[in-house]
Amino acid sequence: MKIVSKHPLLTGTALLIISSGALYGCKDFLTEASNPQGTLNEQTLATRNGVEGTLIGAYRTLDCTSATSSNWGCAASNWVWGNVVADDSYKGSDGTDQPPINDLEGYHWGTADAESYLDNKWRIVYEGVVRSNSTIRLLKQVVASKPGELSADDQKGIEGEALFLRAYYHFEAYRLWGNIPYYIETDTDFRKANGTAAEAITNILKDLDAAIALLPASPRNANKGRATRWTATAYKGRVQMYAGQYAAALATLNSVRNSGVYDLETSYDKVWSGFPEATNGKETIFAYQASANDGEPNGNNANYGERLNFPYSGSHFGCCGFNQPTQNLVNNFRVDANGLPRVVTDPNNWNASNANFSAAIKDPVDPRLDWTVGRDGVPYKDWGLYSTADGWVRDIANGGPYGPKKNAHEKASGAESSVGWQNTQLNSVNIHLFRYADLLLLVAEAMVETGDLNGARLIVNQIRTRAGQRAQGPGTAAANIAVPINDPSITWAVYRIGTYPSFPDATFARNAVRTERRLELAMEGQRLFDLRRWGIAAATLNAYINGVGGGAEKSPQRRLYKAGAEAFSARHAWYPIPAIQIELSRVEGEDRLTQNPGW
Amino acid sequence: MEKVKFVARWMCAAGISLLFTLSLSHPALAQNVAITGTVTTAAGAPLSGVTVRVQGSDARAVTAENGKYSLTAPSNAVLTFSRVGQRPVQTTVAGRSTIDVTMAQISFLEDVVVTGYTEQRRSDITGAVANVNVESAQKQTGASILQRLDAATPGVTVAASGSPGARSTVRIRGISSFQNNDPLYVIDGTPVQESYLNFLNPDDIASIQVLKDASSASIYGSRASNGVIVIETSKRGPAGPPRATLRVRTGVASPVRGYDDILITNALDYFKVVKAFHENAGLPVPTNIYGDPNNPSIPQYIFAAPSATIAQDQWGRPVNVDLTKYSYPNTLIMPGSTGTNWWKEVFGPAFVGNYNLDVRGGSAENSYGVSFNFFDQNGTAAYNEFKRGSVRVNTSFTRGKLTFGENISLALDRHFGGLPDDPGGYAEDGILGKNILMQPVVPVRDVNGNFAGGKATGLGNQFNPLKEAFEWRNNISKNNQVFGNVFAGLDVAKYVTFRSSLGFNVGQNAFTGFTPIFPENAEATFTNSINEQTNQFTDWGWSNTLRFVKAINRHNFDLLLGEEAGATESRFIQASIANLLNDEIDSRYIQDALGDAGSKNVFSTGGKSALLSFFGKADYNFADRYVASFTLRRDGSSRLSPANRWGTFPAFGLGWRITNEPFFANNRIFTDVMLRYGWGKTGNQLIPPGRIVSQFGGGRGDTFYDVNGSNTSVQAGFRQASLGNPDLKWEENQSNNIGADMVLFGGKLNFVVDVYRRATSNLLFDPATPGTAGIAAPPIVNIGKMKNTGIDFSIGHQAASWNLSFNGSHYKNEIVSINGVQDFFYGPITTRYGNQVINKVGNPIGSFYGYIADGYFENAAAVTAHATQDGAAPGRIRFRDVNGDGKIALDDRAIIGNPHPTFTAGLDFGMRRGNFDLSATLFGSYGNDIFENQKEFYVFRQFSANVKKDLFENSWTESNLDAKYPKMDQNDLYSHALSSYYIEDGSYTRLRNLQIGYNLPSTMQRRIPLSRVYLQGENLFTMTGYDGLDPSLPAANITGPAGDIRDQYRGVDRGSYPSNRVFSVGIVASF
Repeated sequence: MKIVSKHPLLTGTALLIISSGALYGCKDFLTEASNPQGTLNEQTLATRNGVEGTLIGAYRTLDCTSATSSNWGCAASNWVWGNVVADDSYKGSDGTDQPPINDLEGYHWGTADAESYLDNKWRIVYEGVVRSNSTIRLLKQVVASKPGELSADDQKGIEGEALFLRAYYHFEAYRLWGNIPYYIETDTDFRKANGTAAEAITNILKDLDAAIALLPASPRNANKGRATRWTATAYKGRVQMYAGQYAAALATLNSVRNSGVYDLETSYDKVWSGFPEATNGKETIFAYQASANDGEPNGNNANYGERLNFPYSGSHFGCCGFNQPTQNLVNNFRVDANGLPRVVTDPNNWNASNANFSAAIKDPVDPRLDWTVGRDGVPYKDWGLYSTADGWVRDIANGGPYGPKKNAHEKASGAESSVGWQNTQLNSVNIHLFRYADLLLLVAEAMVETGDLNGARLIVNQIRTRAGQRAQGPGTAAANIAVPINDPSITWAVYRIGTYPSFPDATFARNAVRTERRLELAMEGQRLFDLRRWGIAAATLNAYINGVGGGAEKSPQRRLYKAGAEAFSARHAWYPIPAIQIELSRVEGEDRLTQNPGW
Repeated sequence: MEKVKFVARWMCAAGISLLFTLSLSHPALAQNVAITGTVTTAAGAPLSGVTVRVQGSDARAVTAENGKYSLTAPSNAVLTFSRVGQRPVQTTVAGRSTIDVTMAQISFLEDVVVTGYTEQRRSDITGAVANVNVESAQKQTGASILQRLDAATPGVTVAASGSPGARSTVRIRGISSFQNNDPLYVIDGTPVQESYLNFLNPDDIASIQVLKDASSASIYGSRASNGVIVIETSKRGPAGPPRATLRVRTGVASPVRGYDDILITNALDYFKVVKAFHENAGLPVPTNIYGDPNNPSIPQYIFAAPSATIAQDQWGRPVNVDLTKYSYPNTLIMPGSTGTNWWKEVFGPAFVGNYNLDVRGGSAENSYGVSFNFFDQNGTAAYNEFKRGSVRVNTSFTRGKLTFGENISLALDRHFGGLPDDPGGYAEDGILGKNILMQPVVPVRDVNGNFAGGKATGLGNQFNPLKEAFEWRNNISKNNQVFGNVFAGLDVAKYVTFRSSLGFNVGQNAFTGFTPIFPENAEATFTNSINEQTNQFTDWGWSNTLRFVKAINRHNFDLLLGEEAGATESRFIQASIANLLNDEIDSRYIQDALGDAGSKNVFSTGGKSALLSFFGKADYNFADRYVASFTLRRDGSSRLSPANRWGTFPAFGLGWRITNEPFFANNRIFTDVMLRYGWGKTGNQLIPPGRIVSQFGGGRGDTFYDVNGSNTSVQAGFRQASLGNPDLKWEENQSNNIGADMVLFGGKLNFVVDVYRRATSNLLFDPATPGTAGIAAPPIVNIGKMKNTGIDFSIGHQAASWNLSFNGSHYKNEIVSINGVQDFFYGPITTRYGNQVINKVGNPIGSFYGYIADGYFENAAAVTAHATQDGAAPGRIRFRDVNGDGKIALDDRAIIGNPHPTFTAGLDFGMRRGNFDLSATLFGSYGNDIFENQKEFYVFRQFSANVKKDLFENSWTESNLDAKYPKMDQNDLYSHALSSYYIEDGSYTRLRNLQIGYNLPSTMQRRIPLSRVYLQGENLFTMTGYDGLDPSLPAANITGPAGDIRDQYRGVDRGSYPSNRVFSVGIVASF
């Protein structure tokens, strides 16, 4: 200690040096504390499980609502983009809830509200692209660094599925925005300029062709949710139809038809169903595979994106009364004495009724009405009678008296989630993204456009015959949810469905096919896209609001608020690209993304 | 490599052992003597509160009311006497046992303050340092000392709600970064960067210094970018027997304003609004609640389950029900209310109590201070409470040249009830969001005493706020925290001292919460759930400093060298389960048997980070005339890229005490003037750890998918969760400060002024990536630049019987660059009508953004004359066609408001008359805008919410074109667009505190051990033009992937816990 007191400066400096040295010696100290906690890294994923898992992640964005994102604008079913914006449904619910959909429904697509939904859809389709591309890159990395880790079949299958998904997501983007940028696995610049709609089609078809070449005929690992060669081929046909390549589409779609892989379900009630035996049947080409009670604590995989689309508080479901079918859609299901759609046979009057089409009205209808729409006094699958008086609708003045039905599960199916906030609105009903009836109707359309009217008629009649197999039954037990359409237990409707004896000319045939498509695929998120590719979106939607078939949506007897809608015009040919995405594409002061015309 | 590692570890261990050895070794003992004495003023009056220190040690005493002190010191020791406002006195003991001292009043420049690692005279400080009037700041009933810092300190803003135990968001001199702007708190030398200082008992605090500029703060380089607040807790007692002080304060708090001052409380008045909304839109008026629109009446029942309804009137309202059918939760019956005052149901007077006992004492060789605190604050909202118990032990021991001791506090706090301190991102869902805007016709309880709700068409989508409060009453946030340090100091020589201090902050936060069923809601839920969270953290920091102090003639040198290492580690786990079979509190545990096992969810994560620093500071003072200081610090951070991990933070300051110049002597105006200039650089690395590399992950509800089509199971999936940035480096803040400290007119007036400019560069933030890059969290990058310029000043006058101080500050924040490409990004929260906040180059952070509201459309002609606007109609709001393209679209949005005040001011007044004293504190904020987002509900009636009292009278009609509100119109889904219609002036002046005290004469104190009683009122009045609840808005609690981003969302009123008006009575007793 004497040294200490005698040489204070020395001692002090020594102390500091020792303690500094001590800490400098702990230099690893900083490095050791730098690793992220509770995450995976790229190396961990460069394995078989990593590649397969990344591919699974790419499938998951078929529905974007998840634990990390919940926005109704990117639900798998496209209910906002395909139904509400078209003439199938109103936003429904309360006038002030989910205001972005008000703007979308009123064709005010340039507002900040509308943009919030558009941006969510944009981000999630490109997230799907990113995950598909990550799968391909990771696959190549594993194949290069660990030969033998993946079998040749798996390599082909994984790449094929990822390419298919990449095409699928770009096609979703194309359907909304047309002029989109296309991203492949080698892209590193995410501020690319958008290409034209035609270029998008070319790229999508190129990826689908590549996928078709790689994919097996039946799903890999017998996983029903996976894309196969036939899934990709069916999509190729759909894309060709969107591109107006009717002859090519006909050939592609017919090859699917001839493969015998798919068929119509025996009856319509099995198409949208929670019963396990009805899911992934012959009719399913591609579906979002919903799952409930799968160990996820909040029901995020159980069609979270559809949860708003259930009857309101007086019903079992409790909320939220969105996506309410329109009076126009309901009137579409009216049939004449021959069981043919009055839309076709009575073009001036089919839509004249403004009345709540309740069970009290016994006008004959297509039985598909009661698989598509909840109506007063009609059994709602096996949940009892749909009743506006008992509060099954949130605000009739706003959204009318009807409710969506296809996405609802049957009580007896056990498809309901037992967990999650409002678990009654969560279920494992798969969301059809492409089903065989849709494909058949595309074939019929292509036939009309290529002059085979009788071929088209046979398909329409095939669809109608199947539709006539079963109607909504009393629903007091699993066995009587669906009954023959003339079953004596039916007291709430007169069901009738007939077939077309002939298609006299192409105009009639086109009208019949398009009508059939609307009836068959009503509330399935296809309508706006169909109207657009037919080139009749503006005419149809303006007529829907201002008057068609003897009825107008903007009339005080229906939805007065529709009077505030903007005319559907040339600029509505595509949705506006979210302004924020254009802003984010800026490089050196210049926007790389170009806005769609008119926005 | 392994060998190197081994050697390094050995060095590490050896260093620690050696220091322990040194601290335990016994230096030669000096002979100690007991000393007593009295300190008086020049006029002979006893001076209390004088700190008597034994130089070179931590031993000290404080004089009592009678000016007396006693302590033990070595016979050759030097004693220093110091007190605010008095010239310090230094004297050698020289074997005396009685040392009486006379002190002269002097300028505050002679005050000694604790700054970076050392104590300094103010006149030796060249930076901007504010010495907080702790006594004034303590005159409040909040849980944290920080709550009243803004009124006491120029350049400091504080946002806090009236919630019990509310967090105080403290900002010094504007905003320096896009995220994580909390200042660094250094408590007894231990740093902590988190504004939740509830573990610190306000009564334990002896001094607070705010280091505002870089030249003063850069000694804390790495974390000083947002300023530094140095807090010293009450030290150990004077030598002598234990002396105890008991302080008790109890009071009653009530909200300064309630929604019942703003909203309709009569159900039939509300119906008039409903009717107008429908009639004006051409829609049928709903009859299911009020019956005949022309002769409305309060319904007997707003809701009765169909199965319990016997008869309905012609309007479909249940008039006869079978009460025996009532069955909770499935068959409910709710009566109609003539007018429920929802605010009064939830808010009311609340008790506040604060109990504090401290005991201090010691001897020549040791001293101690122990304090106990119990703080209990009930919320003004029902079932809402904050409690804290804390114990602090400060000790110090002297063994010759060695001193050692510790400052440790143990604090346990409990927050009950489901009201967050600050509104979160989706504030509308809370008790204070839209829920308390429930319609007046809805009763609080149903016919059976259960909570009622709006379970009928048209009654909105709100939750019964009282039910929420009640059901959440057992939601508890618990914090258990041990905070403090152990230290050792060695007087190596007369001019060399070594000090080593190990600081620690160890604790655990836990939360348990419950969500009940809501069968009474329109959107009923029948699933209950519980969740639990636990976070454990350990922070430690070890600092070693060596200080040389030497005076050679008139040259004074003060050199400090040091190094510091610190690490932090935390681990978080949360779990939940739903569908509890029994929701009694004793059954609320997460076990498969107690609920639905399928809903059980467990998640854990953690964080690690470390900092290593070396620093030095040199101060030079020539003849008390010229002062120069130079600081250099080098910091390494584990959060940054290995290549850019080390940052260097230099600073210098120059001071000229101009009044000590011969040519300035005997100036009659300027008694003591110091001019200062400082420049320095500080750093910021406060981003989440682990962001150098990309992170991958996923989740069962996120990336997992049922690819097998089973409908009941999923397969694991992955995605990229975040993008890493291998080049992450330090954010740097350069500050320039010019200031002057002045004592004028022989001490009658003190004036301090500082003008500054702070520029942040390499701003750490995470700008959005294009959507085409996916949803992975964007990388954190260093590109942006931000600037703050401003002025702070304070003027004080101290007379014999009264004193007054006024302080004011102004800052201007400007985003200079974002990433060189983008010139804006939106705020973090998208409300139902979009995003009302923009961060744009050339404008302050968090500017308000939207259309410019240009009154209302007068008539159809005005609609035609105006640019095309969606939904334009007479009586609706007209938006300005900013770009003149003939249509109102998103590109017509503009910056419509600024949440930053142009000026904030505090006024402190005190006076004494005999044994009575009176003090008052006023605070004002001027020129800040508030985005009154609650208008969404109570003006535009979103979700059929309750509305403003005067909505019916003051809405647009053809005869009231210049109305306060637009036309009531159910079909108007357009006027509510985010616009300047929501912007209001948030300026206010508030009497923060008024206290009247009586000090008992010492003659009386002999009989009762009571020294002081006082009455106190807080927030007694507010002058403001703001129409909402309370212009003093708390900061919203918002966190993004790059950290706390609340500064990107300031001044938006989404319903927040209003400030409290508190009346309290307190006593101080010493024995």
